[in-house]
Amino acid sequence: MSAVVDKNALIDSELFQFLRAQVVKRSRIPAESVTPDAALSDLGLQSIDAVLLCGEVESKFDVEIDPIEIFEHETVGDFVQTLLDRIGT
Amino acid sequence: MALFHLGLSTSGHDPALALVSETGEILFAEATERFVQDKRAWGVVPDHFNHLASALKMVGFDVARDRLRVATTWSRAKADLPVQMSGELLDIADANWVRELQADMHRMAGASLMRLGLTTEMPEARRFDHHLCHAVAACAFAPVEDAACLVIDGEGEVGAVSLFDLRARSLKRRWRSWGPGSLGALYSALTQLCGFDWRQGEEWKVMGLAAFGTVRPELRDALAAILEVDNGRLLLADHATITAMIARLRQASRAPSAPIMDAADLAASGQAAYAQLVDRMLADCTDKDVDTLILSGGCALNSSYNGTIAGRSGFDRLCVPPAPADDGNAIGAALLSYMETAGTTRIPQGDGSPYLGTPVDANRVGKLHHAQRSAHVTDLGADSAERLAACLAEGKIVGVMRGRAEFGPRALGNRSILADPRPAGMKDRVNAAVKGREPYRPFAPVICAEDLPDWFETPQSSPYMSLTLRWRAERAAQVPAVVHADGTGRLQSVTPDSTPWLHRVVRSFGAQTGVPVILNTSFNVMGKPIIHSVEDALSVFMTTGLDAVLIEDTLIEKTTPAA
Repeated sequence: MSAVVDKNALIDSELFQFLRAQVVKRSRIPAESVTPDAALSDLGLQSIDAVLLCGEVESKFDVEIDPIEIFEHETVGDFVQTLLDRIGT
Repeated sequence: MALFHLGLSTSGHDPALALVSETGEILFAEATERFVQDKRAWGVVPDHFNHLASALKMVGFDVARDRLRVATTWSRAKADLPVQMSGELLDIADANWVRELQADMHRMAGASLMRLGLTTEMPEARRFDHHLCHAVAACAFAPVEDAACLVIDGEGEVGAVSLFDLRARSLKRRWRSWGPGSLGALYSALTQLCGFDWRQGEEWKVMGLAAFGTVRPELRDALAAILEVDNGRLLLADHATITAMIARLRQASRAPSAPIMDAADLAASGQAAYAQLVDRMLADCTDKDVDTLILSGGCALNSSYNGTIAGRSGFDRLCVPPAPADDGNAIGAALLSYMETAGTTRIPQGDGSPYLGTPVDANRVGKLHHAQRSAHVTDLGADSAERLAACLAEGKIVGVMRGRAEFGPRALGNRSILADPRPAGMKDRVNAAVKGREPYRPFAPVICAEDLPDWFETPQSSPYMSLTLRWRAERAAQVPAVVHADGTGRLQSVTPDSTPWLHRVVRSFGAQTGVPVILNTSFNVMGKPIIHSVEDALSVFMTTGLDAVLIEDTLIEKTTPAA
């Protein structure tokens, strides 16, 4: 399976789509800017918003997240992949 | 060699330590404030060396042979996260102060082990989730296999509320709220608006004052509008709404120097807002499979609301532990450390005793005869309960120090001031003679559990003084000193099994007077923690209008009656 296919699968995942919508809601950047390669630090999120975004994901997908985790990943894709691995998807 | 588990409450306020054995038995638990005699002990390490050494000696820990595993009540330093997580409703300086204290406590936890000679470098502490500690500690006191366990706190790692499911005594979190929405913080803000100081733990004063006020809908709604309840979770309203609501509330606020009753309507409205919000939360927590709610976190100290829960909100039974606030968390951390080591998820069920603190020092008791030069000293022997009851029936106000200290904020008969609740003037007498606190604040009754239906409208067991219930009107007139302005009482119910000596006192007082109820207030003076040592007890005795103190079975009475 190529990396491109993996990335597409990631983009298609409900988790990525949910995260993208939440980022857009909080930072008001265009949805197309929220890509797997986008740096989390470039999304225009306040740190409090980044933490609360973790909470939205936790409630929606029933997976406990350490709020500091979002700051420990460089890109949106890395963060989503970590969570997908944990959920077992 | 034995392994002991040391739980440390590392919030920066209300530090405490707990010791659990390698079989999961709670051996000791005590708030640091008792040992250092400084209320809330802000910024004092929970493993204060002398306190810890004293506790270890009490439980038989052998420094040369045994091992100690350290556990904390937070998984991380709060300062790792944005200050907006905790500072939105409080003064930013206070929020930062608490965060810095917590960071220090978190980092320093276990340092005293070096002083004890147990290690040569900082021990590795086990770090546990704050609300999980609350929940485990609460479940340890709940005699049930299955329940819903709700933690409503001031803060947490990510938010102020967590809901857990207890099944076969194992916990699983159902959800937690994220962000700065906090009932604890809202009540703290209300405390400030009422002219009191949350940093001194004066939320009690708001709750007591509420009984004198009238709920003003515009104030209640302004307070309730600051928080939203979404599927049980608490969310903070947007900044503009908060600013507008606080401005509205400020118009009804009281300056600390103004008459206290000026804040009565605000207090009543705040208590009503609290009830409204928790009602909404509980409606989202019900579970058809369980009928018991275990409630913990600092908000579980709201005894006025607690008394309204059972039978009304989807739960038939309410369990609140003796120390639901952050001091109690020390037990949770110690138990979690034990469970981790034992490889079990099952929470041990203790015997329910809150008498987990330091015992009366027998050496000091043996020297009480020295007091004979300035007071009457009598050994009451095996009849101490009955003879104390006689003293109370004569109208004497007596400080009692017996056995091990209670864990938690309530004096439950082992570090209590007891008195006759029948004279209407007794409340003012206790206040004037000893407590020195605001005259409006109520005193609590002790009553035998089997008598509850005769005295209260909706009788419920309340072994840790966690509930406020409404007196039967015809009974209230018999015990005016323990009836609050709204006709309620925050009772302690006693049984021959759980509290045999105090049960005997109440029974005997009832036999002598026809009224089996006793006034019970904590053995302290205003602004100070409950007494810890025999010297503390004698100091209060000598510097207040207390008529007598009973230390174990030795009664020390003043030589001349009060003027």
